[in-house]
Amino acid sequence: MTEPRAANTPPLEAADRIVRHAGVDRAFHWIAAVCVLVLLGTAFLPVLGLSFGWVTIHWVTGIVLIAALLFHLVRALSWRRLRAMWIDGRDVSDALAVVGSTLRRDAGGPRKSGKYSFAQKFIHHAFAAVVLTAAVTGALMLVRIDTPWWQRDPYWLSNATWGVVYVLHGLAALLLITMVLMHVYFALRPEKHLFTRSMIKGWITRAEYSEHHDPQRWQVK
Amino acid sequence: MSRDVYGRETLQGMSWDLIPVFFWLGCALIVAHALYRAFLAPKKR
Repeated sequence: MTEPRAANTPPLEAADRIVRHAGVDRAFHWIAAVCVLVLLGTAFLPVLGLSFGWVTIHWVTGIVLIAALLFHLVRALSWRRLRAMWIDGRDVSDALAVVGSTLRRDAGGPRKSGKYSFAQKFIHHAFAAVVLTAAVTGALMLVRIDTPWWQRDPYWLSNATWGVVYVLHGLAALLLITMVLMHVYFALRPEKHLFTRSMIKGWITRAEYSEHHDPQRWQVK
Repeated sequence: MSRDVYGRETLQGMSWDLIPVFFWLGCALIVAHALYRAFLAPKKR
């Protein structure tokens, strides 16, 4: 693990830093994070007994999240970015190696990953599936409320179809409770601090890069 | 589940009684991982 820097250590030069997350990607992450927390709060606090006018906050925040997701989708649809996130054979092999080392109780430690580890890709894809499900079903549910732009139309879909939409939206919301808890837990773990810092400040150090990443799998300047 | 005006069973959505289930599931997974890291995870190469 990387040693913490002493207080009297000179500040890092820009050349010692490697950009892991561009500012626009960090902005997307934190906008999405705030939106998800507001959406969970406005969805579940009234259920838990805290009464307030949650509907307007909920659907306005939902629209902000959908806009952010569309922006991220367009930005992510380049070959280089898709390839960085794709779970390939080596990622699966890395995960199996950790399982094998655990079962054998040897000191096999995790191999160096590319820009993202198997676990990071997996949690990204899990969040993508769940948040997109919530966003698509939430967008459909906007038809059922009055907004400045349209009048509600509860008969746009059949009762049976609305039922499926509500089940999927609710299931996604419930799954997000578990997933957000775990995401925050992993972000706070000491060995993950470099990744959390990179999502705040954007960079990791060259020493952290050498320690955690395979330069063949994540090539940086 | 509920019944519509024609008496047919229709889906209403997820039961919010499940909120504590998903909350405690998250807590249980966190504790499980913390124990794994403390006692079972392979040490670094």
